[in-house]
Amino acid sequence: MKGNRQLHDAFSKRHPAVNFVFFLGVIVASALIQHPAYVLAGFVTGAIYYLMLNGAKGLKFLLLLLPVFVFVAAINPLFNTDGQRILCHVFGRPYTYEALLYGLALSGVIVVMLLWFGCYNQVLTGDKFTSLFGNLIPAISLLLVMVFRMVPNFIRKARQLAGARKSIGKGAGENATAKEKVTDGLTLLGALTTWALEGSVVTGDSMRARGYGTAKRSSFMIYRMTLSDWLLMAAMVLLLGLTLVAAYFGQTAAAFTPVMEIAPVSWGLCSYTLFLMIPILYHWKEAAQWYISRSKI
Amino acid sequence: MKKSHIATLITFFLLIPATLFLGAKLPGRTYYITGTLIILELMIPFFMAFEGRKPQARELVIIAVLSAIAIAGRVLIPIPDFKAIFGVIMLAGIAFGPETGFMVGAIAAFGSNFVYGQGAYTPWQMFSYGAAGMLSGFAFGKGRLPRKAWLMGIFGFVTVVLVVGPILDSMSLFLGFVKPSPEAFGLVFIPGFAHNCPNALCTAAVMLILGKPFLSILNRIQVKYGMLT
Repeated sequence: MKGNRQLHDAFSKRHPAVNFVFFLGVIVASALIQHPAYVLAGFVTGAIYYLMLNGAKGLKFLLLLLPVFVFVAAINPLFNTDGQRILCHVFGRPYTYEALLYGLALSGVIVVMLLWFGCYNQVLTGDKFTSLFGNLIPAISLLLVMVFRMVPNFIRKARQLAGARKSIGKGAGENATAKEKVTDGLTLLGALTTWALEGSVVTGDSMRARGYGTAKRSSFMIYRMTLSDWLLMAAMVLLLGLTLVAAYFGQTAAAFTPVMEIAPVSWGLCSYTLFLMIPILYHWKEAAQWYISRSKI
Repeated sequence: MKKSHIATLITFFLLIPATLFLGAKLPGRTYYITGTLIILELMIPFFMAFEGRKPQARELVIIAVLSAIAIAGRVLIPIPDFKAIFGVIMLAGIAFGPETGFMVGAIAAFGSNFVYGQGAYTPWQMFSYGAAGMLSGFAFGKGRLPRKAWLMGIFGFVTVVLVVGPILDSMSLFLGFVKPSPEAFGLVFIPGFAHNCPNALCTAAVMLILGKPFLSILNRIQVKYGMLT
């Protein structure tokens, strides 16, 4: 759906499995870790990668995240009154320093997740998802592929139907009431359904005639795991594993209420940050390589 | 025993308790991950059953068409916040039964997020939309509720307000709060209710206006092409 855009990012050109494992790791880790330093690392790397993917347009999204951050951070202390230092009383309930910090960390987690999901949507497009899961869930992947094709097709058909209705004086115009718009839209939807379902039966029969379901479905794989894919995968597993070890030793622990206890920053943060920077570093490496090989000519 | 039945048993008696246990054991705020994992695990049996019974080409295409129509419905009616998506999903469930209803709902949610963006809410949307299709399929199955337009409208309204909305809202409870307290509960579900009501009204309107024609279209196709379900 968003695949026709030119992406100048080297990481998104790698095997979908590499992309998927990376984002799975990022999103699970950033949902679980609420240590402020780790959240900050997630935000900075996520923001850099998002800007690399979107260019200057990405700044708008980053600015939109600010109100989300402030809102969630400010609202949480209203419901969590634990904590030692009371800042003020809101509706007769204590609004504490610790709870505010906790709120900040938590809304940081949410913002980081939103940011990385934003990157995910750019990198793991529908075609990659279906090619990745085509063997594991063949019927559902096929369903998705068909849906991706049908949605734009149906919208085009619906425009034709609307045009035909308009030419015989039906349909909702510019200044129609909401009720007219709804009735008109639903009439269109009904007409579209008839057309689409008739077509679907024909498609289904055609698929059967061509032997769908007679043997195990094989799928054409456009992507192959190359050496650099395996290397990236190994780096990801290693760095994420190190972070996990660090988490096991309590390096990512951060408790805010009732008593604030934040683990000191140690090597775990390095491995986590390096893990998050994999797409950025990989892109820089490719760009440098390209620059060097071009300058040799 | 069928593979999907074994999967269902494993999911309910091993996977979900294990997730709950681990979620409670892990330090820190793990509600969101635990909740999302359980939602994903709840969907596994449905998808396994679907893959397991090797759906015929016709069935596949019909599910795809219905999901695509549910998604396209978002574009066709130029009124913001008027979402025909639930209405179409529930009508699909009524016409083709609970299993198809679930698949149409889950695929419509997942597929539309490839257009509008995946997010932390994707599994919750898939589950709640699927639940809407499944419930309506059960409620209006053969020999149950009569398929009257007004009854479908009321059913649509109630399902969106009481099932789909709260499932989606509970995600923001798990994701956005330090700890799920009764007050946080109120803060999420009361505005959630206010937001769900217009959606529910849309669903009811879709069922009232489109219900009868839609079902007769589906019925005609079933008769015309000899798909007697």
